[in-house]
Amino acid sequence: MVSPGTNARYSRRRASNLMATVLSIAAAFFGLAWLASILTVLVVKGVGGLTLAVFTEMTPPPGGAGGLLNPIVGSLILTGLAVLFGTPLGILAGTYMAEYGRYSKLTMVVRFINDILLSAPSIVIGLFVYELMVARMGHFSAWAGAVALAILVIPVVVRTTEDMLLLVPNTLREASAALGVPQWLVIRDVAYRAARAGITTGILLAVARITGETAPLLFTALNNQFFSWNLNGPMSSLPVVIFQFALSPYEDWQQLAWTGALLITAAVLGLSILARMLASKKVLT
Amino acid sequence: MDTHEHIVKSYEEELSSLNNKIAKMGGLAEQVVGQSIDALDGRDPDLAGITIQQDEVIDELEKEIEEQAVVMIARRQPMAYDLRQIMAALRISTDLERIGDLGKNIAKRALAVVGEQQPKQLMLGLKHMGELALGQLKEVLDAYIERDADRALKVWYKDEEIDAMYNSLFRELLTYMMEDPRNIGLCTHLLFGAKNIERIGDHATNIAETVFFLVHGSAITDQRPKGDHTSSTPVPMRSAS
Amino acid sequence: MNLAIQTNVKERTETPAEGLEEKIVVRHLNFYYGEFRALADNNVNLYANKVTAFIGPSGCGKSTLLRVLNRIYDLYPNQRAEGEVLLDGENILKPTQDVNLLRAKVGMVFQKPTPFPMTIYENIAFGLRLYEQLPKSELDGRVEDALRRGALWDEVKDKLGASGLSLSGGQQQRLCIARTVAIRPEVILLDEPCSALDPISTAKIEELIDVLKREYTIAIVTHNMQQAARTSDYTAFMYLGELVEFSDTTQIFTNPKLEKTQDYITGRFG
Repeated sequence: MVSPGTNARYSRRRASNLMATVLSIAAAFFGLAWLASILTVLVVKGVGGLTLAVFTEMTPPPGGAGGLLNPIVGSLILTGLAVLFGTPLGILAGTYMAEYGRYSKLTMVVRFINDILLSAPSIVIGLFVYELMVARMGHFSAWAGAVALAILVIPVVVRTTEDMLLLVPNTLREASAALGVPQWLVIRDVAYRAARAGITTGILLAVARITGETAPLLFTALNNQFFSWNLNGPMSSLPVVIFQFALSPYEDWQQLAWTGALLITAAVLGLSILARMLASKKVLT
Repeated sequence: MDTHEHIVKSYEEELSSLNNKIAKMGGLAEQVVGQSIDALDGRDPDLAGITIQQDEVIDELEKEIEEQAVVMIARRQPMAYDLRQIMAALRISTDLERIGDLGKNIAKRALAVVGEQQPKQLMLGLKHMGELALGQLKEVLDAYIERDADRALKVWYKDEEIDAMYNSLFRELLTYMMEDPRNIGLCTHLLFGAKNIERIGDHATNIAETVFFLVHGSAITDQRPKGDHTSSTPVPMRSAS
Repeated sequence: MNLAIQTNVKERTETPAEGLEEKIVVRHLNFYYGEFRALADNNVNLYANKVTAFIGPSGCGKSTLLRVLNRIYDLYPNQRAEGEVLLDGENILKPTQDVNLLRAKVGMVFQKPTPFPMTIYENIAFGLRLYEQLPKSELDGRVEDALRRGALWDEVKDKLGASGLSLSGGQQQRLCIARTVAIRPEVILLDEPCSALDPISTAKIEELIDVLKREYTIAIVTHNMQQAARTSDYTAFMYLGELVEFSDTTQIFTNPKLEKTQDYITGRFG
């Protein structure tokens, strides 16, 4: 029996194993390096402008001192409304696809369209809502902005809800059906509960997605220099303000843009970590 | 009866081995019985001695079979026909062991009557009875090997003949003993010998019942013909001398 | 497959012996997965307060037959049953049958223990709340009763608030049994309840079955023949969708009428 050490085939295998390992590590580092550099730049440039004023003062005219109060609040309102509109629709649609119509043709069609919507260019959606709401209403509004963002939320929630519900083993449904539990209760009390962490993760991911969307807001909510609660009028949002300030020649505006970018990144990072924590809790069950 | 073999080959082999041990034990029992009767008839002490030793081999086989049966029950959890096979092997080995012992006892009686004058008539009767019993034994063992319940049933019914023979031998021996008290010693030994042969016939009948159960899964429903009436045979009156 | 030389149970051959009540009667049952006929003209009786075991090689249809008895196959399109299944004389296959009510009377325990993602208490209470409006104290009592019947009370009485998933496999299965008996069904169907469990848990559940049959009618599907022999009063042997032989357990395992049955139980299938 030839000892492995002297076998030529074996040492070739070891060599290619080593090379593959080195290449994958290198690729990982390559990707991480970019991420690290982005984060470093953001932090370095953004932290400088991070003062209390950022959270308490409105956006200033060029040359003036100010903060990001209205875009922050505006983003929160728009995101909140979008989640409010989009999540129930998304969950219910996903529930239909996974529970009631699992084997139906309608589900196949809806799933197909949903996947397309998932990767639809957000600017197209912005234009669509412009035509639908802004043009009709005659003015920009936070409502339109929320609707545009909601249209971005729905496919994500539909997809994750359906996937998570499909992951719930059928034996669990059968076990509750065997008790004589009607289907809607099986869904509400058993399937939802089992898929709870996954569905919540989906919602968080949807929020993370729309946090940084600029294009659709350009055509719908536009922007507002001043602080406003009026949902029927234009509302400012962080991405749009960053867009505006970053392209400007004014330094203090640019600084605010960097700070705003840092805030958005921190928010998305925080949401992703939260989503991951929830997902790992699901693994324990 | 079984057209298929066990999927697990070792199970099949174990059952075969059990079967073979019974067959071997049966062959030895036949030999012991045959020899012991010849010894008694021919007053051959050497044959008697060999026969007595052969019984030990039969006893050994019974132990082996019992052990193997217990192990198989524990390990294989046999069902239906397999279970009946193993139970049958246990029961038949017990009967064969007893037959061996009875044969040994007959051989001992042969040793005891060596040198005595033996009345031809009596010996003829005894030998005939012995051959009948031996024939039953052979037949029932064949029935077991062939798993033939009908043959076993025939053996079961034929036991009546042995019992009938024993009845008449009993009366003859009594008469002989009453004629001449010097015959009592010889006749007593011959009586015990005859009883042993009758018992061999009964054990063959037991084996027949077991074979029937093995094949059909239920017991023989008829009443066993009990032909041995000697316990109620009155002692003939002494003729006036 | 030539079964012509053997007597299939094509008609109800068993007339109930003295004192035996027919709880479920299956008559000329055919079952289809799409175009494929999985059960062919099955006829069998389940007697009240007795354990009936269904045995047979993989794919013979025993689980399929069990799943007809509480119409759990209804959850899936493309699966349909034809024939009659009478529960206390009523045909449960008729379209007007309320399946949820049926399943409250005919409970089922599955092969893989499936505790709900809730607390142990909630697992039991969930089904109870569905059918009865009970004040908390009474609910507590019913939960305890169910857990006692499931031979689980002593092990969980101090941790009713723990998740049902925190129990061991054997305990989870007993939880599922407790959950099933909580709603006071009349029939309990067990689909290979012990195949995922260790021998001690299996023994505990077999003991449980022995106790439960005093109040319920039980049907058990098992591929473990020794378990069928140990636990059941009646046994049905199935092969390729047909019910080949049905008799009391002692008969089947000591002297079955058909060679095919004997071949299967002695491990001679060729």
